[in-house]
Amino acid sequence: MPGPEHKRAAFEAEALPHLDTVYRVALRLAGDESLAEDIAQEAMLKAYRSWHQYRPGTNVRAWLLTIVRNTFINQYRKAGRRGTQVDVHEIEPYTVFQEVQDVDPEGSLFDRIVDDEVLEAIDEIPDEFRETLVLSDMEGLTYAEIAEVTGVPVGTVKSRLFRARQALQRRLYDYAVEMGYITRRDG
Amino acid sequence: MTDEQRDIDCQEALERLYDYIDGELTPARAEAVRRHLEHCEPCLKVSTFESAWVRFLEVRTRARHAPPSLRKRVLESLLFEDDATAGP
Repeated sequence: MPGPEHKRAAFEAEALPHLDTVYRVALRLAGDESLAEDIAQEAMLKAYRSWHQYRPGTNVRAWLLTIVRNTFINQYRKAGRRGTQVDVHEIEPYTVFQEVQDVDPEGSLFDRIVDDEVLEAIDEIPDEFRETLVLSDMEGLTYAEIAEVTGVPVGTVKSRLFRARQALQRRLYDYAVEMGYITRRDG
Repeated sequence: MTDEQRDIDCQEALERLYDYIDGELTPARAEAVRRHLEHCEPCLKVSTFESAWVRFLEVRTRARHAPPSLRKRVLESLLFEDDATAGP
């Protein structure tokens, strides 16, 4: 049976390189840096304790993110997070495009928005939509990987991602109008 | 011609647009969307806009790294765990 040095070396080689991903996802789930560090550390320790359950050659990143998500939901969800503000259920498809197509068909209005404002807007999306967008657009997981991490069918991942992207786009468009980066079309 | 290869209309093309942008369609379905966009300027414009939007999200959200103090904490907790579980 391999000793602790062997286990730690394998964990450090395969799991630890994903610490940035683990932290970024924890941060967007919790909405707070200090909580995110606690979640990330707790999740990495849990992963280390159950390293024997990880099958080498399978998707270590999805496995780690599942642990991050469960850690957040079971231990931290109550502690963090303010109320959500964006209603994703009233989202109509491609409305921002329809409003800006004549003046800004390639969406360069978004280029003027700073990263912090983008992240803040992401934090206003309801949990299940935010986590889907974060796993997809921030971390580049496939729909199948997101379905594995979040425990829902691929069809649900697709509809959540659609709504999340459109809701965020609407939120940042409103912000760009507010800041005077673009003029809202009349009517 | 299989069902996946048939021509699609605007509604179907737009419904599959994010799947197409994300590279999640089968080659035949992706080809059907691509063919539609080639011949439909309004849908192509939506596609250009939404592709830029998805790229924007990727670029703007990935820059952040875990703080060095967290890496240190994690490594220390692994060592501590090894010590705690080591037999006498």
